[in-house]
Amino acid sequence: MKRPRIGVFKFTSCDGCQLSVLNLEEELLDLVGLFQIAYFREAMDRPLRGHLDIALVEGSISTERQRNHVIEIRERTRYLVTIGACATSGGLQALRNWASIEDYKKTVYPSPGMIETLPCSTPISDHVYVDYELWGCPVSSDELSETLGSFLLDKRPGIPGYSLCMECKRKAVPCLLVARAEPCLGPVTRAGCGVLCPSLARPCYGCFGPKEGANIDSLLNVFRKAGFSDHDCALLLDKMNTYSYRKARGREGHS
Amino acid sequence: MKRLFKVDYLSRVEGETGITAEIQDGKVTVRAGVFEAPRFFESFLRGRHYSDVADFTARICGICPVAYQMSAIHAIEKIFGVEVEEPIRELRRLLYCGEWIESHALHIYLLQGPDFYGAESAWSKKEYLPIAKRGLSFKKLGNRILALLGGRPIHPVSVKVGGFSKLPEKKALLSLLPDLGEAFEESLREVEWAARLPFQDHTMDMECVSLCAPREYPMNHGNVISNKGINTPMGGFLAMLRESQVRHSTALHSKIRKDGLESPYLVGPISRVNLNVEKLPAEIREVLKKCGISPPIMNTRMGIIARSIELSYALHEAMRIIRVYEAPAEPSVRFEPREGEATWITEAPRGMLIHRYELDHEGCVKNCTLIPPTSQNLAQLEIDLRDFIQNHIGKPLDFLKKESEKIVRSYDPCISCSVHFVFIKETCNPVTKKND
Repeated sequence: MKRPRIGVFKFTSCDGCQLSVLNLEEELLDLVGLFQIAYFREAMDRPLRGHLDIALVEGSISTERQRNHVIEIRERTRYLVTIGACATSGGLQALRNWASIEDYKKTVYPSPGMIETLPCSTPISDHVYVDYELWGCPVSSDELSETLGSFLLDKRPGIPGYSLCMECKRKAVPCLLVARAEPCLGPVTRAGCGVLCPSLARPCYGCFGPKEGANIDSLLNVFRKAGFSDHDCALLLDKMNTYSYRKARGREGHS
Repeated sequence: MKRLFKVDYLSRVEGETGITAEIQDGKVTVRAGVFEAPRFFESFLRGRHYSDVADFTARICGICPVAYQMSAIHAIEKIFGVEVEEPIRELRRLLYCGEWIESHALHIYLLQGPDFYGAESAWSKKEYLPIAKRGLSFKKLGNRILALLGGRPIHPVSVKVGGFSKLPEKKALLSLLPDLGEAFEESLREVEWAARLPFQDHTMDMECVSLCAPREYPMNHGNVISNKGINTPMGGFLAMLRESQVRHSTALHSKIRKDGLESPYLVGPISRVNLNVEKLPAEIREVLKKCGISPPIMNTRMGIIARSIELSYALHEAMRIIRVYEAPAEPSVRFEPREGEATWITEAPRGMLIHRYELDHEGCVKNCTLIPPTSQNLAQLEIDLRDFIQNHIGKPLDFLKKESEKIVRSYDPCISCSVHFVFIKETCNPVTKKND
């Protein structure tokens, strides 16, 4: 059987999700045997031309050049899968979407006029059709293997869309929200991380983005009752998945 | 006659970078350009609470998130006057060991290693596969340390101002010892392997800069020193730097200002080994002697040897810390936020990572400056490339191009790290930073 062709692409991001591919470690070499790696700039020299069966895309779209590039990738790809918070939800750098880009440029650069960038950092799905989205900051290596394995078996990947609370209860981790009135985003956040933060005694800060049908306002009411101001509540959501949480609240574009 | 070569998108480095070289009438101009899109960390950190800073800055780089967390929390603790207990200090060092192991193994075996075997990737040649496997097992061990202390290897979650959110069990730490011991023994052989790789002779006179602490190999503490007379506390070093925005290259370049002159310098494993060799364990120094390596190493191509030495050191240091570790009563100390300003530098796998913060009375960020190791090395890298091309000016462009790529890789640049990156088309003179 001909090995399916896979490409790994990067846009605006920290490289952490591509690194999760390399972090498959021993599985990585299996992966190389099962797929033909046609494009992976971080790990190999000569990219191959032509169509791709799967494109794993890391990073958000934040320049004109990237916008054109992602369309070009889409045109030659059968399944386009976004990996991680930047590609799926715009990333931390989407915080610029609620500020003035000119002010942002001036803060960092002495000659802001030299900088080419779009005013917003947006997820891949704002630009092209995305077949599958993997959340997380970074994406989990398990979900990556599950997705690639499912492709080979021609089935849908089993990635949960329910909340972190479900995972937390299953692992019998004490609830930080109920027991300590800490502002945990678990109730509105997708499962997938393996209950990292609550297991380490810190409230969830939303790496995996909003779960399906999240009722965010209701959770924020609970936080307010515990003494958090509106400003505090807004900042809790304005992190790596700011774009998606705001969208889920139906107040996209307003602070 | 004008000759030109261009590498649009360099492979096997972290992030997006390219090289342009122009040879005209025997004169060489090199531009190590970077086209990573800007992310404006210094802008959106403004107004954020101190407790967000470590999580946010970690997102600058997926390969060295711990470095960002370390520089950030130490700077903030300095502002608040927080003193952590010895076991916390040691655990942070252990976390850093995990990152050094993971990052160095990635670069040695998956990114740079293939260059010495004429391979295009770690998996493109059958004879390289066993070497890649060795690297992956080191990397896995580094990741295990990170996951044990921080929940996951990339963007770990337990580090906070004042300590950790939760401490690891001593038993879990001890369970790492057998594998660490075995890996350390292997790593000594790996230093020999790296030392035997073929290197072009390219000895340069350069200023090597690193932290230096009294009794330990530098990670989170120390003064900034160099082989050309710098010896200053962290804040003093920042005052010596000049960052400029250069149109041709796309990152802010850092240079040292001394006696009215601006000079490039080198940070990273070579500099650390050169300036701290006497703090390495005897076993490692013996291996160096056996292979005929006597620091200072003044050939940047030999970065892979320095990284192998540090990979071995980090394994050794991780074992030492785990053996002596006794859990403190509390995972973190109490403190009150207060207004202030501080600079802190820690040794990221790729070299000194400088953070400076100004916080208001509630502990929210008023201003910050983040200077990653890669932008400190860019000026040195350009000189290195220019010299190389100048010395081989008659050679075919293909050769020059390929070798230039290898030189860039030997610096282990981390492009995403550079929060200052800009995307620029044309070329012209450097512009100096306004607030300098």
